[in-house]
Amino acid sequence: MPDSAKARSHPMPDEISNRGSALNEGALAYRSAESGAGTGDFDISLLEESLRMSPWERMLANDDALNFGESLRAAMERRNAES
Amino acid sequence: MQNLSELVRRLIAAEVEFVLVGGLAAVAHGATLVTRDVDICCRFTEANLKRIQKAFADLHPVHRSRPDLPLGLTREQCASLKNLYLRTDLGVVDCLGEILGVGGFDQVAEHGVVVDSPVGKCRVLDLETLIRAKEAMGRDHDRIAVKQLREVQKRQARS
Repeated sequence: MPDSAKARSHPMPDEISNRGSALNEGALAYRSAESGAGTGDFDISLLEESLRMSPWERMLANDDALNFGESLRAAMERRNAES
Repeated sequence: MQNLSELVRRLIAAEVEFVLVGGLAAVAHGATLVTRDVDICCRFTEANLKRIQKAFADLHPVHRSRPDLPLGLTREQCASLKNLYLRTDLGVVDCLGEILGVGGFDQVAEHGVVVDSPVGKCRVLDLETLIRAKEAMGRDHDRIAVKQLREVQKRQARS
């Protein structure tokens, strides 16, 4: 599976609540800054993962990350409104 | 739902003369920062601006500063515009006539590298020039992007 497709396979917030599953700590987006051979400013392993993709795949992955972040924010707002 | 790659795809398909710059160019080169808009440097001729308008016609494009006004470029506007800041159903597109630290469209185009996309070739500002442009901007997130892009540059030099 290409890396961009892997990035898109992350569950969306609504799916997470439906499945009752925890966020996948091993997934690209949730890895801590310390988990890679970091420079102190960024995680070098994430950069290496990015460099394995084509430029177009990186742009698609950016869309996925952007929309995932926005759906997470919307889910948090709904949750805050309910509580 | 934002879809920045679809916005780029439409610009290519509409044969807009542009170079991808800014955060999405950094992403194309390998930076891992998430960017929220498409920045392009383009030729500010009437024909080219009309191609941009046509590319986004079904996406309800509006001027960001006047979202109540649909995009409907006139010949007079095309002649006077230096930049064009748009909001569409799929995301924000900033069309710039020049790039700080680089110059106008012709100078920027000289520093474009070609990247394959599903609909054809896309010109992206080259790594060194992108770094120079981001250094000229000097914002916090640009500094982080520059560090990542320098690392990409180092790895390219080694390979």
